Amino acid sequence: MPLRLTGDEKMFRETKSGLAFVLPAFALLLTFKLWPIGVSIVESLMHTGITGTRTFVGLENYAYLFKADPVFWSSFKITLVYSLIINPLIVLIALGLALLLNTGMKFVKFFRTLYFLPSAISYAVVAVIWGVIFDPYYGLANSFLRFFNLKPQPYFSSPNQALLCIVFLVLWRSVGYWMMFYLAGLQGISEEIYEAASIDGAGRMQKLWRITIPLLKRTTAFILISNTAFNFLTFAPVYILTNGGPQGSTNLLMYESFKSAFVNLDMGRASAISTILLLIIFLISMIELKLTKTSFEY
Amino acid sequence: MNKKTKLSIVLFIILMVIGLLYIIPLMWILASSLRPAGSLYEYANPLTLRTFFPEKLTLENFIHIFTEEQFGVALGNSLLVAFAAILLGVVVNSMAGFSLAKFEFPGNKLIFGLILITFMVPFESIVIPLFLQVRRMGFINTYAALILPAVGNGLGIFMFKQFFEEIPDELLEAARVEGASWFKIFCQLVIPLSLPAVVTVIVMMFLFQWNALFWPLVATHSSKYEVVQVAIAAHRMTEETHWASLFSSAIAGSLPPMLLFFALQKYYVQGITRTGIK
Repeated sequence: MPLRLTGDEKMFRETKSGLAFVLPAFALLLTFKLWPIGVSIVESLMHTGITGTRTFVGLENYAYLFKADPVFWSSFKITLVYSLIINPLIVLIALGLALLLNTGMKFVKFFRTLYFLPSAISYAVVAVIWGVIFDPYYGLANSFLRFFNLKPQPYFSSPNQALLCIVFLVLWRSVGYWMMFYLAGLQGISEEIYEAASIDGAGRMQKLWRITIPLLKRTTAFILISNTAFNFLTFAPVYILTNGGPQGSTNLLMYESFKSAFVNLDMGRASAISTILLLIIFLISMIELKLTKTSFEY
Repeated sequence: MNKKTKLSIVLFIILMVIGLLYIIPLMWILASSLRPAGSLYEYANPLTLRTFFPEKLTLENFIHIFTEEQFGVALGNSLLVAFAAILLGVVVNSMAGFSLAKFEFPGNKLIFGLILITFMVPFESIVIPLFLQVRRMGFINTYAALILPAVGNGLGIFMFKQFFEEIPDELLEAARVEGASWFKIFCQLVIPLSLPAVVTVIVMMFLFQWNALFWPLVATHSSKYEVVQVAIAAHRMTEETHWASLFSSAIAGSLPPMLLFFALQKYYVQGITRTGIK
């Protein structure tokens, strides 16, 4: 959990007002966030029979998912692979861009806004744009390739390329956003540290590895954690462009859960997958937090 | 040419090459939305200058989505839902943030902890459970379903709390001594001092509501409640994808957040990076 400042601030002891001010928002969050999660966990322990009767079945839904549901396993694996590809890439590229833009040249402002622009565009629109650009027949991408006499690619119609295309469009949309956090972090590092290092004979790469990156640890942790959670829940590109295909190669867990709930009307399975996702996100957030907290030193 | 200038040029070239990856797609979409519907495929292959600069510019694709496809309804719905959520949201979240920043009362730590948990739980991960909940409560397929769940916002509360903590207690005490109620103090003293936080939360909530796809998709099914993202996605899903309409609706649907973003980007970026770094 993020550090809570237990400052010396004198707080006002006001039970009535305190509760009155906090309750509306809290009630809403309770009703629409916390309670549904609790119910969902309970729901995932139930089975809905054909007649509509619900019976308590314990962890049977989960056991079934992991033992006898190849579609789930495939989805699970694909989601993990996707996660392992996209999260490090976002961090690396965002950092790279921030380093490039941290040079204070006049033209930097233009590029900063340009790279950040896609994050004002919704994922649905981003998916639509790249779906069209990557269209094998009329899309811009293959038009370019043909222009340079290179081989046109199948993109979303190929089980080998589809997931990577999704990675690409998510990167396009998000690196500019996270780059801003790195820029803010970089600007928080004072020049003097670098000057002192120069005096000690440190070269560019050394400054990068020994000073910049360690000082950006908190930012990196924040970006990694936020991203891991967010990317596990990728839905829009799959729903709009691939429907999990071709051949299930882009069947991420969130989409699989959606299919369960709204196509197959199997709420138990959908809830179970949803809960698993929540657990994974929670676990990974905890791990990432622990890892970066302990080795954090100024 | 000295070394610094040489480096600048190299940097510029690198940034420009990367920048092309951003500029070219956007320009192509823009150009394609402004060309007569049929000619798109004609100029897709082979690649020529005409692919990016149509011979004839026309607004027919934009007009089409409003007259034939009721995109205006979708835009209206998204605006309505966004404004309603923002109005309610800024009020309740700022109040909660204030309470947690300045008041001490039994249970405040527990409440804060729970709110932090909600903030760690991304909205999309609870769409299925939330759907079941709202269905149980009986207001699936209503505007309320689109608005209410988005009002309470853990991140917003957190941002407000951070901001309010910097307001000196002495200021508040002085007002109390003069007999002002907390409500009055909040409205007349605290909020005016907190405009950057308010702006950040407004932009954040607007973007969130405007860009939402998954939740509106499952929460409503009547076309009269259709929001912008669902409308755009629906275009892509039909058998005969009319690219021209796709482009024009994508652009029309992206204008409001873009405009908002351009107008307020300074505050927004400041707001999110300040909270993120802490």
